[in-house]
Amino acid sequence: MKIIWMMALLLLTHVGMAQEVDADLMKIKKRLDAVQRFTATVVLDLDVPFIRMPTKTAQMHYEKGKQTRFSSDDFVMLPKRGLDFSFDELFKYPFITVDRGMETRSGQSLKVVHVIPSDNRAELALATLYLDIINQRIMQSEINTRKEGSYTLSMHYAKPSDILPNRVEATFAVERLKIPFNFMGKDTQIDRQQLKSTDKKTGAIKIQIKDYKF
Amino acid sequence: MKTLVWAEIVKLMKQSKTYYALGAVFLIECLIFITAYYQGSAILDVLLDSLKQSFYFEGTLLNGNLILYIVLNGLWFNVPLIIMIITSGILTDEYKDGTIQTTLLQAVDKGSFIGAKYVVAIGFTLFVIAFMMVSSGILAYTIFGKGDLVVYLQTLNFFPAADAFQRIGWAFASGAVAMLFYSVVSMTLAVWIKEAAKTWIASALFLIITNLLLKLDLGIAIANHFFFPKLMDTWQAFFYHEIDWGLVWLNNTILLGYGVCLIGLGVWTFRKQDIG
Repeated sequence: MKIIWMMALLLLTHVGMAQEVDADLMKIKKRLDAVQRFTATVVLDLDVPFIRMPTKTAQMHYEKGKQTRFSSDDFVMLPKRGLDFSFDELFKYPFITVDRGMETRSGQSLKVVHVIPSDNRAELALATLYLDIINQRIMQSEINTRKEGSYTLSMHYAKPSDILPNRVEATFAVERLKIPFNFMGKDTQIDRQQLKSTDKKTGAIKIQIKDYKF
Repeated sequence: MKTLVWAEIVKLMKQSKTYYALGAVFLIECLIFITAYYQGSAILDVLLDSLKQSFYFEGTLLNGNLILYIVLNGLWFNVPLIIMIITSGILTDEYKDGTIQTTLLQAVDKGSFIGAKYVVAIGFTLFVIAFMMVSSGILAYTIFGKGDLVVYLQTLNFFPAADAFQRIGWAFASGAVAMLFYSVVSMTLAVWIKEAAKTWIASALFLIITNLLLKLDLGIAIANHFFFPKLMDTWQAFFYHEIDWGLVWLNNTILLGYGVCLIGLGVWTFRKQDIG
């Protein structure tokens, strides 16, 4: 509901500007569109309050227009949202943009742009992108989906010329585990206060991406 | 003493009951394996169900390590019963057959005689645990392969395959201390009761009560530390993300201390008792 109100407000206040897609964003999109396929090694560090998982390594296989695949000799858990470094999902359907001005984040001046898909088939409802217009790339994003909550991405790049990140931090909402008592260890203590606490928790994943092969 | 221990080993190896016991342990293992396979799938479904909304999973968790963890959960009630029957039989059979009088009428020290029986009971228990560990390990890794282990103990803990293997090995070692305690209890009960069937009933009752009291909270931390049923589950400590080695050593040392006290009590009682 909050997202719908935000969208309505944005559309009303920027009705004149909303018809045109941001030029800086289009330059970045053009750079991203040039990436047709790549494979890379991803190192995943999951940080969810009730999950203790060691650092995992997987191979990432990206091909434009197809579902990104991951393969690993280990068991890996990958967040459903936050691994779309090429922003395919966001640019899949027609969209409008709203320029929100400049903002300084981590000492860097970034252009803030709201992206609103104008097609009902789009799973994303609203994205706030923080653009590095000098190096023409996306530095941060806050994305609200229609059905799967919201998540944020923070991207770091190895070189000023890179369009794909070498480090990404994604934060997302994750549902608390619901474990039946008969699966608990015999001597497991039950913290009733904790069980009553909120069902949603915030999780994060730090991803290192290396050995890109195009 | 050495001769007496050797004589006890020969007697144990010659009786068919010993092989029935090992067969029973293996049969229990196989049955737990079958149920573990289905239980393993159900456990994974339940554990990961609420995470499916937020995550994709790549790879499988239904592997030899998960099966071994489930086997570990299942063994510690069934196996002690078999161990207690065999170890108490080392003494009660002597009473039943009247061989105890024959032996002790010769120049055999009563303390050494019962001491040798305790030594063989301990040796047999360690052999059964080693047999269980090797056989279940071979079966689990051959059929289900290696892989990460997931365990829910307050948090959802994932262990890489090599780490899981080590933790399972330590859990068997810690479980062996609990099994030694049970075998010493059954031998001491045999010293007091003398009759096979009554000793088995007393041993089974002890095992059931111990399991029932496992969850009992005495309210005082120090009392919980020394309450023996609480010490039986120490092997689970190896499946927390951070192993509390201090707790593991303390619990097992206390349990071994109880075992030594029980042996002392058994030897003292036996020396005081009439042979008949």
